[in-house]
Amino acid sequence: MQPFELSLTEASRAVRARELSPVELTESVLARIHAVEGRLSAYVTVTADAALAAAARAEREICAGGLRGPLHGIPMALKDLIDAAGMPTTASSHVRAGHVAERDSWVAQRLDAAGTVLLGKTHTHEFAYGLITPQTHNAWDHSRVAGGSSGGSAVAVAAGEATFAMGTDTGGSIRVPAALNGVVGLKPTYGLVPRTGVTSLSWSLDHVGPLTRTVQDAALVLSAIAGHDPRDPASVSGPMLDRFPGGDLRGLKVGVPRNHYFDRVAPETEESVRGAIERLAELGAELVAVEVPMARYVQAVQWGLMVPEATAYHERSLRATPDRYAADVRLLLEAGELTSAGDYLRAQRARTMMRDAWARMFDGIDVLAAPTVPMTAVEAGQEAVEWADGTTETVSDSYVRLCAPANITGVPALTLPVGHDRAGLPVGMQLMARPFHDATVLRVGRVYEESVACAGRLAPLPA
Amino acid sequence: MTSELTPQEAARWALRAGLLLDDGRHEAVAMTANHIHCVIGTLRELDFGETPPAFAYRAGRRNADAAV
Repeated sequence: MQPFELSLTEASRAVRARELSPVELTESVLARIHAVEGRLSAYVTVTADAALAAAARAEREICAGGLRGPLHGIPMALKDLIDAAGMPTTASSHVRAGHVAERDSWVAQRLDAAGTVLLGKTHTHEFAYGLITPQTHNAWDHSRVAGGSSGGSAVAVAAGEATFAMGTDTGGSIRVPAALNGVVGLKPTYGLVPRTGVTSLSWSLDHVGPLTRTVQDAALVLSAIAGHDPRDPASVSGPMLDRFPGGDLRGLKVGVPRNHYFDRVAPETEESVRGAIERLAELGAELVAVEVPMARYVQAVQWGLMVPEATAYHERSLRATPDRYAADVRLLLEAGELTSAGDYLRAQRARTMMRDAWARMFDGIDVLAAPTVPMTAVEAGQEAVEWADGTTETVSDSYVRLCAPANITGVPALTLPVGHDRAGLPVGMQLMARPFHDATVLRVGRVYEESVACAGRLAPLPA
Repeated sequence: MTSELTPQEAARWALRAGLLLDDGRHEAVAMTANHIHCVIGTLRELDFGETPPAFAYRAGRRNADAAV
């Protein structure tokens, strides 16, 4: 096995045991980038020299007995919405031409303190305002979409171009590309990971989180990045996240939605996810059918919050340099200027109601299990999906539909791969829990992944 | 009961917010804005009662007055 093929957990063990040098690991990942990046376009910028210097520093420290923790010497990438001091945060947009971040974001600073090696910045759908990341190609089938908006990060992890990566999630932007590329993605509880130094799409809905090869890997990253930063007004101190016990799932109640999450879902996706839920039952969990409250209003609340907030954030540049935006993003930003305060307030009030109703739903269950997205990765350029019930939906609306509730309610949501369709494309299952019970979704995900073969496998790219 | 914006109205309302739309964009912006308005409009079905907006909310805190 080449070093780039190792998961974070495997690489960490090998580095700690001094069987693998951070320099070897980083060189292997950089060589992998060189070999496959031309087909994938996951990266905006690869900072190879700086990465090798950081890896050499990590190697020296570890050899001198100064191992900082499980992330020390591990090469990773940041979605190009996340500031790293001295580098541009392009947001994959011409609007950001000439930008340079003055200081590290919270997550960049924490990952640096943990001793990680920054490989570079990955592509996002422009300013995170989309579900496709059109510049980047799916790791499993390059003619298909990467998903978005953290498409670059998901593809980099799936292809072995980064041992892990960071993304952001406002309406599914970590979980959608993670599911479409067969990797793990975690949207933590709202407020658990500070968003300081992360370009905003929608303050009410933005989250920062990891994309990794395994659930165990995601738990390790979350431990390093969770914390309280008063510079982010949504930041709160959460529980300690240093123990993620395995075992079985006896005593755990898994909610299986009767509505919303299995409505208008491709048959193969439904089959894979229901199979994974049955596996949870085999592992000891009790399955409980639940009604997801206020499902009818999910899209309305998501848009009612996100559309005006995104327009507000871009107020200046939309007036000064509108032609630098991509066409789809510019149109949404301009139309957002016409959303009324009344609509925004209705969305915020409905959000309070939905949050409280979901809390009552979680009185009866520990975890909600569902598909992450209704279908696998579509062909690049496909704009709409036709469902068996005769309705048509845009691809973007479809990809957001099952992810948005966790953004609106702030609950932790983990996606993990649970199978493939007949075309070989990955299918993701989503696990959600009460706010600040991130450890629960990670535990359940980890128990599931330990019970199945080939967790954490890379996309099979031909050499 | 509600209404849709014409392209000219969309341009006027954008200008009212300080956003000058290029001539060729009025129709597309109006269509998009009307679609967004329609989607968000379903929220007018809800009886919010005393429910406050969730501005600086913290995940996990319940509002004792909320009812579905």
